Amino acid sequence: MKTKIIILIVFMMFGCLNVAFAEELNVEQIVEKANIAAYYRGADGISDVTMSIKDSQGRERIREFRILRLTLEDGGKQKFYVYFKKPADVSKMVFMVWKHLESDDDRWLYLPALDLVRRVAASDKRSSFVGSHFVYEDVSGRGIEADTHELIGTDEKYYKIKNIPKEEKGIEFEYYFVWIDKTNFIPMKAQYYNNADELIRTIEALEVEEIDGYSTTIKSVAIDLERGGQTTMDFTNIRYGVGLTEALFTERYLRKAPVKWVK
Amino acid sequence: MGQITAQIRIFVLTGMVLTVLGGPGYASMPDIGGFFEFDFGAKVSDDNTKKDSYNLLEQRLQLKSSYYFEGENYLSDKGASLNFKGDFTVDEYFDGKTGFDLREMNLSLTPFDFMDMKAGRQILTWGTGDYLFINDMFPKDYRSFFIGRDDEYLKKPSDALKMSFYPSLGNVDLVIAAFEPNTTVKGDRLSFYDSFQGGIAGINSDRDLYEPAPRLSNNEYALRYYRGLGSNELAVYYFNGFDKNPTSYRNEAARRLFYRRLDVYGFSLRGPFADGIGNVEFGYYNSRQDSDGDNRLIENSMIKVMGGYTKDFGNDLKAGTQYLYEQRLDYDNYLSSLLPADLIFDESRHLLTQSVVKLFANQTVRVSLFNFYSPSDDDGYVRPAVSYDLNDQWKITLGGNFPWGEDDQTEFGQMKKNKNVYIRIRYSF
Repeated sequence: MKTKIIILIVFMMFGCLNVAFAEELNVEQIVEKANIAAYYRGADGISDVTMSIKDSQGRERIREFRILRLTLEDGGKQKFYVYFKKPADVSKMVFMVWKHLESDDDRWLYLPALDLVRRVAASDKRSSFVGSHFVYEDVSGRGIEADTHELIGTDEKYYKIKNIPKEEKGIEFEYYFVWIDKTNFIPMKAQYYNNADELIRTIEALEVEEIDGYSTTIKSVAIDLERGGQTTMDFTNIRYGVGLTEALFTERYLRKAPVKWVK
Repeated sequence: MGQITAQIRIFVLTGMVLTVLGGPGYASMPDIGGFFEFDFGAKVSDDNTKKDSYNLLEQRLQLKSSYYFEGENYLSDKGASLNFKGDFTVDEYFDGKTGFDLREMNLSLTPFDFMDMKAGRQILTWGTGDYLFINDMFPKDYRSFFIGRDDEYLKKPSDALKMSFYPSLGNVDLVIAAFEPNTTVKGDRLSFYDSFQGGIAGINSDRDLYEPAPRLSNNEYALRYYRGLGSNELAVYYFNGFDKNPTSYRNEAARRLFYRRLDVYGFSLRGPFADGIGNVEFGYYNSRQDSDGDNRLIENSMIKVMGGYTKDFGNDLKAGTQYLYEQRLDYDNYLSSLLPADLIFDESRHLLTQSVVKLFANQTVRVSLFNFYSPSDDDGYVRPAVSYDLNDQWKITLGGNFPWGEDDQTEFGQMKKNKNVYIRIRYSF
């Protein structure tokens, strides 16, 4: 009986210690965990995405596409394959990205009507993704080394982190805050400020679900507070670890979409 | 048409038969998409074509569909699909003439892990240029290009079998196609320099374009080997077929031009360069019927070199520039073969292009300008356009085609009376 109590006490102590360690995660560790949680779930992933883009007058446009994602190194290189389904004029168009951290991404666009594989210049990661209020970086991830990070607050649910870009060139914001869920490290909210300290843009995770063991944002919204307008993104048919291979992310499958993965 | 198209039809038919053999596994009806559009292009210069006030007035209905084989059968197992795209047209330029343009009708499948195949009518493109083609010897429709139809119509379909192989050391595409000429300007809708008329001609042009007979030995072969080198793409090309333009004379008295035999050997390299994308492409055009260049009736061999660069400036602004150099080979032989009254082509030609694209209003407004300028020919071609996506269905495009030139016989100079301003209204579904 005594031993049991001692063991219990030891366990409790370790348990406490564990909590203490968790409390003491430094800001870089938090950001790193959040980056993995948001953009590197599973070795690969597939999802259908529906974007509803509303302009400042409330006019709505819809984009539907399937995203295939393959992670080559956790927190590092990835490949993306985006197969458009709607609207009709972009149907079967393919957008492919090889994401690098240390250099510009490689991007290709396939235009089926011309059977044309176009190389797309990719120096600007802050431009709109398919006309939505999300930018390329929101979709493929902003390299964590692009900003300096400061943990400016912690409550029972979130870490609040202030991020300041190291390189100002081509960046429309001065700094941004991110609220990271303490339990699963999903970034739940981001607020972007300009140099007049005005809030210009927010992104929010509206719904998070556990899928194949990974906490996954299944609905998010980006709001443009400067010009008005917002885009919601709904993710459906999400699967992880389906066995995508690197061969899929080549010109072969730009020209001939892999039926197995895009149907 | 003769044997060649017959062969290709056999492939398509085979596909049909296989569809039936595919058995009762398939169920779902394929989705049908497309668009309906209205085009009008007003002319701002007069010439001797059929109409003085416009050169584009038509309605077009495009339908497209793909059928993916399902169930337990060979075609489904090999990821096969049947692809169809066709345009129904009413051309008011020719007094309401109706037409049907079959743009795609092919069977696409992956018979082996290392091989893809597409048989039937298809659009084919490769190479690195923007509106400039060195190793892309697939047919093009320059008439559509100059009157301002959508870019899609610059590419003309081929009746072909395309086989793509993917061994580990790079990829190989082999295309076997029936000869299909470029759709070139012929005087009814667009005026051009007709050497038989000795100047810019319209409906008075009575050239006879003599196409290679449709037989097996006149099939064309296009081969491309390509591979990635890190972020760069290297490609090597070979083409064996015909010039797609009727550049050579078969019978002067009968005003008959023909499509000379042509081999093209080339390569290209494309990849990140100076914060943008750079590309270089080279081609050697071997004029097989005039290999020494001493036949004044047949165009000489040539080399073509091109370099290009595009950059993304952020805020949805992109710009690009290209330089193309062409040189006629055996130029001395060519000069000494000429007769006194002959036109003399220059030994070399320099062509520059500049392009700017800027998107506004969440990428619903696209403003673009593409400019060709040749300092050696003293001619050029300006193509501005503005388009607006009202919503996911409706799109309006306003644009212009402004070819110009000091002389009448240069590539763009001969087109100078065809300047137009066009509007296109499209409903997509």
